[in-house]
Amino acid sequence: MLTAFAKAFKTPDLRKKLLFTLAILVVYRLGCNIPAPGVDFRYVKECVSQASTSGGSLFGLVNLFSGGALLQLTIFALGIMPYITASIILQLLTVVIPRLEALKKEGQAGQTKITQYTRYLTLALGVLQATGLAATARSGNLFSQCSVGSQVVSSQSYMTIVTMVVTMTAGTAIIMWLGELITDRGIGNGMSILMFTSIAAGFPGQIWQIKQQKGWLPFTLVIVLGLCLVGLVVFVEQAQRRIPVQYAKRMIGRRAYGGTSTYIPLKVNQAGVIPVIFASSLLYIPALVVQFSGSTASWANWVEQNLTKGDHPIYMVIYFLLIVFFAFFYVGISFNPEEVADNMKKYGGFIPGYRAGRQTAEYLQYVLTRITWPGSLYLGLIALVPLVALVAFNANQNFPFGGTTILILVGVGLETVKQIDSQLQQRSYEGFLR
Amino acid sequence: MGSTATPEHDGRGEKSDDGKGGRRRDRRKLGPLGRFALFNRQIVAELRKVVWPKKQELRQYTTVVIVFVIVMIGLVYGIDYGFSKLTFWIFG
Repeated sequence: MLTAFAKAFKTPDLRKKLLFTLAILVVYRLGCNIPAPGVDFRYVKECVSQASTSGGSLFGLVNLFSGGALLQLTIFALGIMPYITASIILQLLTVVIPRLEALKKEGQAGQTKITQYTRYLTLALGVLQATGLAATARSGNLFSQCSVGSQVVSSQSYMTIVTMVVTMTAGTAIIMWLGELITDRGIGNGMSILMFTSIAAGFPGQIWQIKQQKGWLPFTLVIVLGLCLVGLVVFVEQAQRRIPVQYAKRMIGRRAYGGTSTYIPLKVNQAGVIPVIFASSLLYIPALVVQFSGSTASWANWVEQNLTKGDHPIYMVIYFLLIVFFAFFYVGISFNPEEVADNMKKYGGFIPGYRAGRQTAEYLQYVLTRITWPGSLYLGLIALVPLVALVAFNANQNFPFGGTTILILVGVGLETVKQIDSQLQQRSYEGFLR
Repeated sequence: MGSTATPEHDGRGEKSDDGKGGRRRDRRKLGPLGRFALFNRQIVAELRKVVWPKKQELRQYTTVVIVFVIVMIGLVYGIDYGFSKLTFWIFG
């Protein structure tokens, strides 16, 4: 297996892609460590270390997704989240607004336009979140328990705030660009890879925290549980419902084409990790809003009590429902049975026992719905299982080794490894997955 | 397996009651509970046709993924460590 990694680096253009992706990750992490202008670095460090030991309620959750950059008020503080949120919003709107739907059906040109809208929306969200973050930091609410919390932003002038907002928004734009670069010229999906990196960055510290707070036994238990979950996730990710497709044999000139039989692989979890990413990034918004607004209205209290802790029943239920919803939603937009049926018809393919065209599409839809139900329930349950175990454990609420973390790490890891592997196999190497 | 009334319930007589006709008439006759039960049976029937990964495949993929994730975490941690030292040196 290790030789396969070595081979990946020996293949010139694959090496180029891998190194390119790594270089982008380095740039990303660099930006996540440079403090934004107007921020007093020493005070931030002090407050962050205090917050991580005392365990602020919201910090664990928010910090997880920004890879620790948010609390440190760096230039990449907002992370990839605005981009993800923007693309969720646009994908949801595509279903609702006819004009966007028309654009989507237009093909490549329309898709480019939608991407452009997504970028604008990302910037708008970036400005919004950056303003919130800067204002919260300035007023000292960001680190309310910290003694020097109000001195985190060195100057109280509006110019400082404006500079911070502009810098962070620009940072968001750069992250978006980095993500797209990875998608275009690197390995894997940029958005997922950056998300993966953010989570990976916070992971060692968090897992070590368990050891320090609970001792060796729970630490080992958590690791074992985590490894079992990894196995389970891989198991379900690899499960496919294969729908047989037969291609008609036909003569074009003197050659015979087709006549082969293949299958359409429908994964049990066709949507992959996207539902989890979407659900968690939507669910962290109310908490973020409350944190930024510093409001003490009744709704704010409700959100603070119910939505900021990963082990709260209401949080779990909403999270679960969102995951199930997004699983169906994403399968709905990414796999179009009619299109598949049409394509099959064009090339003379058919599912034995079904007529080409509408009947085939209906059958595909039939199987897809029935296979996505267990798939989405699995996603939701995996995301919750560690939380439930946690309640039983009576452990710290900012449990880092949650199902979300594992799903994202393993899902993105599997996707990336497979992509590298398929590129290796194109060059007739054996690859690491046999 | 009972009657799941899937489009292909015994793998051969698929054409007879695929999709529309048969199933929809079935549904109208059933109450909501019956429909739910039918749907569940159909889910189970589909799940039986799923190709689950074999033991060897599963082991291989799991190891590769774990190695990959650990390598990436180590890498990112290393990069981060370097950069945080650097920023500390410059700004601290």
